[in-house]
Amino acid sequence: MSLTFERIEALAPDQASLAAARKLLKPAMWPALAEGEGLVWGECQGSGATPYRVVVSEADAGYKCTCPSRKFPCKHALALMWMRADRSTSFAAATVPDWVKDWLSRRRGTSSSASKAEEEAKPKTKPSIRLTEIPEAEADADPKAEQRATAARERSRLEREAAVMAGLEDLDTWLSDQVQHGMANFVAQMAQACRTIAQRLVDAKAPGLAGRLDALPTRLFTLPGPVRPSAAIRELGQLHLISQAYRRTSELPELLAADARQAVGWSITREALLNDSEAIRVDAQWRVFTVLSEAQPDRLRRVETWLWRQSRADGTPQCAVLIDFVPISTGAAVGGYLVGDQIEAELCFYRSTIPLRAQINTLKRGAEQTSAPLTLPDEGLSTSYAKYEHALAQLPWLGTIPLSFRAASVRRNGEQLYLYDEESGLSLPMHTSQANHASPLATVDRIDGIGLWNGYEFTLAWAETRLGRWTRS
Amino acid sequence: MNLTTLHAKVLPSLLGGTSRHPMPGEMIHPSSPSSDGTLEMLSLMGQALRFERPLTPESFIVEPEIRDERKIIADRLRRPLIRLLTSKNATEHPARALARAFDRLRLRPHPFDLPLIDAFVRSNAEKLGPTAQHWADRQKPEAETQSYFDPELLDESNWMQATLSRRLAYLEERRRDDANAARALVESTWAQEEADARFRLLQVFQTGLSMSDQSFLSTLEKDRAPRVRALAARFLARLGASSENLALAACLERIKQSQSGLLRKRTTLQIELPANVKDQTASRWILQTFADVSLGELTGALKVTEKELIDAAAKDDPLLLALALIATNEHRLDLLELVVAKLPNAWERMFEGGLDTLGTMTESVRQRWEEIVVHPYRKDVPTNYSLWDWLHRITDTEASSSVMLIVLHAKLLTKVPEHERGSAPWVEMMAAICPASQRQELREQLIQFDQSQSVTPLALLDILDGMENERTHV
Repeated sequence: MSLTFERIEALAPDQASLAAARKLLKPAMWPALAEGEGLVWGECQGSGATPYRVVVSEADAGYKCTCPSRKFPCKHALALMWMRADRSTSFAAATVPDWVKDWLSRRRGTSSSASKAEEEAKPKTKPSIRLTEIPEAEADADPKAEQRATAARERSRLEREAAVMAGLEDLDTWLSDQVQHGMANFVAQMAQACRTIAQRLVDAKAPGLAGRLDALPTRLFTLPGPVRPSAAIRELGQLHLISQAYRRTSELPELLAADARQAVGWSITREALLNDSEAIRVDAQWRVFTVLSEAQPDRLRRVETWLWRQSRADGTPQCAVLIDFVPISTGAAVGGYLVGDQIEAELCFYRSTIPLRAQINTLKRGAEQTSAPLTLPDEGLSTSYAKYEHALAQLPWLGTIPLSFRAASVRRNGEQLYLYDEESGLSLPMHTSQANHASPLATVDRIDGIGLWNGYEFTLAWAETRLGRWTRS
Repeated sequence: MNLTTLHAKVLPSLLGGTSRHPMPGEMIHPSSPSSDGTLEMLSLMGQALRFERPLTPESFIVEPEIRDERKIIADRLRRPLIRLLTSKNATEHPARALARAFDRLRLRPHPFDLPLIDAFVRSNAEKLGPTAQHWADRQKPEAETQSYFDPELLDESNWMQATLSRRLAYLEERRRDDANAARALVESTWAQEEADARFRLLQVFQTGLSMSDQSFLSTLEKDRAPRVRALAARFLARLGASSENLALAACLERIKQSQSGLLRKRTTLQIELPANVKDQTASRWILQTFADVSLGELTGALKVTEKELIDAAAKDDPLLLALALIATNEHRLDLLELVVAKLPNAWERMFEGGLDTLGTMTESVRQRWEEIVVHPYRKDVPTNYSLWDWLHRITDTEASSSVMLIVLHAKLLTKVPEHERGSAPWVEMMAAICPASQRQELREQLIQFDQSQSVTPLALLDILDGMENERTHV
């Protein structure tokens, strides 16, 4: 991937960081600037005696700087990327220094095959995240200590199971109260009501359910007032479904049981996922069709990178979503990828009836911007919607799902935009936040594209039109 | 149990609360002995609702037909353009230069980019074509919107459909060729025009004003817009149609006429400023006092020719300034040139006076006007940013080659006060006024600055070059 101004702009946490980086573009401020093995690095003279060491990976715009800034990327990393993208500053070809190698060894997942081989050949002297995958580390461990740790983990798991069960009992009681008082009443005081039960579910170690409840008022407030009570029935009904499914995981198909546990809040570490031999792996070319970023109540920003499989791989998921969480305080609003990027990677999917969430197992080729269109199937919105209904039948608490379409149009009714399929008469209300940005599409006759459907609103992500490509930004 | 039954019997209970509307007992099937079954009904109803397809509205809005014959800007320029126009710290100079380029080259922004550059589109809709105008008007009530058509060539049959600025230019041209035909065009559409458009259309009557306009101007004395009434009254006064010309009387009251010379007596004219007008406010007073007076009226009242009037005012800077302003108002650049020869700092004086428009001057006339006021400075071009900013704002055009040559040869960018050197307002303005033929020379001067200072003006120059060299077809 070559660094471009668009990518740098997208990565910058705010305008001030870009402005600050701009001031560092003077080569005089960089006593050392070098490149090699897909990396660029340099030393930037800051206010202290020791220059800050900055390294940037050109493959995926990964970066590291030794400055104490709490913004990511910091102005030094941005300036280094900027100088690289600008091509007016010369970088000396050099061998990768130890401090850069050290950073590379600590990175997760995205390293190139060459550096991976080198890394594996290197004696493991320093602790790194990758060490969790290396069996020889376990071989050295004390067996008794290991037994004790295993027992402690099991005890902890059982305690958590019990706590979750108790939390589910509380949730049922709370849901019964809401049903007793009615949804019209619930909608009127949902912010406080949801906050209270969400806190109790956090205490009960069911963060997944707590998160759903925390986000529920915001979600309902985005909908028109008259539909909120019926939307509340949908949402609270799903909570009860999850709660019931969790209690009966032994009776459920394996994948649905995994969905129920994940919905309650049992997380799977990246390492565990990559070590799971039964997890679906898809080695293909993927195209980023949208990136969503949402601030959560827990002061984390959830960044979703939605991918469309470009190359053929029959029977495997057509879409994937990479989910990252970054502290809001860093100001970072996007991941490393931009809409339109194409990567070649093996993705490993979390176990699910409808597998969508994935992690990059191996990145074979870094992100590259391409103007090629998405390889959308030749089917209309109604066919896609029917697939959604099928998926909903399989996974009743299904959340957001991508829908692709051909020959649809954007229509307007008042301020509300709709994605309309003339053939079937199906129309999906578009997300209210797109009323402005997507309105020029109403003047175009026919669009092919893809978007995200959350059961209430359709967020158009990508559209091919006679006027060219439109993407959600 | 089907969906209809759920809607009829279960939904009301869930919405209103089971305490007030108990669920029908026969419908409840608890999943376990400990459950009363209401939560199961909640889930069932919720899931039934999730399977309901969204309702399609009975009708959709029919989008207006927009006949936009302009070409869309090249794809590769779209992102740099958006970046430039949405940059937080950018001055207004790049936007002004880009709007002019869109207008001059008959290009338009990509329709998908309009929401992203909304502020730019709203401020410059007239110059960006019908699609952009439609976008800028989208919040207006339907009655206030117009047809969105911007024909390449205007004639009497389609001039109404063009943007206001193009209509004004067309009318001005028609007034020169056939003032009566131009007036007839204006009369035919007058009732449908907004106040601002009426005022600007009336301004065009300055060109070729004659007694045949009198009857139309008389009807405007009862116009709803005060400024239209005032302008019509001014024109009528010029035509001698109103009882007294108060503006002219006010000017003559302040002009002192005398004779000078020993061998050959010459008339000399001088303005006597009112006692309460101080030096720093003199220019502003002159602009206000002489704004409504024409050269013809002045020469007639003073019984001198235009040339004699300028010669007579040669030793009185305030009167020369007044004449420069009147010559500007009347687009009489030949006279302006004579005045500026005697008042080399006319540029600064007009700026002090607060002149804020060059009226309906065409782009080439505005460029010529700029040349006339800048040329006397040569190598001593002012380094006061406000002066240049005003000049760019009032001319709203790129500089002529000769003006830019002065700027480049004087190395103005390196002469400005040190704390302003390379600052965004300066470098961005220079890029905005630079004509295509001298962009390379300007680039060479810009790259001497720090990259952080030159990035925006260089980007602007690249986009302008790109717009001129490359157009895409839809």
